[in-house]
Amino acid sequence: MDDAARIHKLLDETVRRERGWLISSLVARLGPAQVDLAQDVAQDAIVKALSTWPYKGIPDNPRAWLRRVAGNAAIDRIRRSARELGIEDNWQFTAPDDDIITPSLSDPELDLMVLCCAPDLTPDDQLILALKTVCGFTAVETGALLFLSEDALSQRLARAKRKLRAQSGDLARYPTRFALKERLPQILRIIYLMFSWGYLPRRGKEPVREDLCREAIRLSEGLMAHSIDTTPGHHALHALLLFQTARLPARFDQDGQLLTLEYQDRTCWNRDMISEAFEQLEAAQSSPALTRYHFEAGIASMHARASTWRATDWTSISRLYELLERHVQSPAISVNHAVSLIMQARLDEAQARLAAIDPKVAGSMTGWHLANSRLATARGDQDLARTALEAAQRCMNSVAVADHIHRQYKQIERPA
Amino acid sequence: MPKFVLMLPHAPDRYENLSEADFMEVMTDYIGWVEQMSAEGKYLSGEKLNADPGRIVTNKTGSIEVHDGPFTEVAEILGGYMVIEAKDYDDAVEIARAHPHMKHNQTIIIRQTDPAADD
Repeated sequence: MDDAARIHKLLDETVRRERGWLISSLVARLGPAQVDLAQDVAQDAIVKALSTWPYKGIPDNPRAWLRRVAGNAAIDRIRRSARELGIEDNWQFTAPDDDIITPSLSDPELDLMVLCCAPDLTPDDQLILALKTVCGFTAVETGALLFLSEDALSQRLARAKRKLRAQSGDLARYPTRFALKERLPQILRIIYLMFSWGYLPRRGKEPVREDLCREAIRLSEGLMAHSIDTTPGHHALHALLLFQTARLPARFDQDGQLLTLEYQDRTCWNRDMISEAFEQLEAAQSSPALTRYHFEAGIASMHARASTWRATDWTSISRLYELLERHVQSPAISVNHAVSLIMQARLDEAQARLAAIDPKVAGSMTGWHLANSRLATARGDQDLARTALEAAQRCMNSVAVADHIHRQYKQIERPA
Repeated sequence: MPKFVLMLPHAPDRYENLSEADFMEVMTDYIGWVEQMSAEGKYLSGEKLNADPGRIVTNKTGSIEVHDGPFTEVAEILGGYMVIEAKDYDDAVEIARAHPHMKHNQTIIIRQTDPAADD
């Protein structure tokens, strides 16, 4: 990686990582009612960093720099408009340079994530709130992840923020201590989606957002450290994250081209991480209650065991997909299920699965078109395979995925 | 080694209405440059100037008067300056050629400092 790319990555990761941390820390100090202020202050600090670092270079500790600037800005803002912000008159700092961001909070992001998972919010609203405030996602990214238009997203975000502001008392101050257990399933879901986005961003130049993947794993580990008994579902999710991350080194060839599981050099997989994942999967078997993460981690473990794409135990994988679909229906799962059926030459079943997906959703899904193309190829229908790839190209894709589709397209074009 | 001041003007509205991603893209280039120059030991210091009109203090009328700086009329405002080391003007010009400011803006003004001012 050259210097420019290294610096770009450092900035990008610092900004995303710190945005979530700053907002979370400020909310931890000021209360959930000040989530908008927290977002503004974090944003100002980031802009300040980006405009002064060109003259000063990157500070030795960019995070500490951002925290200091955001902390000072928050103090300033609150002094100027305490009443307008609805902050009590007696809210004050002992010294002007008192650091607003207390290091004693073990994990403010986790706290804010728990707060976002308030039970009076619908699960999707919890998710939108967490992705926007804790995880530093943009509105466009969040919308794409949840198949929502930007307008719909901003309406729901505004509603969710209103409810977040209404939370108060000990729960608002120490959410992780008070509400972790009952909100755990939602928190796991957010970590899961955050990871999914990092693993396969739906747009942008970055083919994979490793920082998001690592952040999801970090939050999951942080959660484990907070809980006395980690639930089997949490172990299963953690196993899933590790299995997937272990494959990252093999996901791109030397030219940076995306390689799907089928084409990966499996010797590049991180074996240590895979063993760790198997340990987590083992720990997940401690109770008969199975979650979606059990099946997904199970599927990932089948891939981890297989020496090649063809040698994969597709029968077991299809079976796991069937079980998974009893827990959760999602277009993406149906598509993957269909692919596992195609691999067993169960083409009619695969076709039925693909056809059963709501066409409004399916039409904008790259994976659905790719699966159709695979099915058509398996049936020897090259025209249809090409048409499906063309449709895939019209979906919102990251550059790496678009390249991948383009290469597949060229392969079909060449007469066999 | 002689010192040179690079002054970096830009259009007053250059960074308005820029998305954060685009802004980051531009700033990354600048930051990369300053990091590289620092690593080579050629970057001495720099300051970003606030984007406000500033003040002009004058005694032209016989007594001291304070005015707001000319801001609205100017085509470019000074965004900041950087002090670098270079062998001579030719070398400084070569450095300026590769400066990201030439990619993202239009002008760099180079002035050598008087070495007699150095201790």
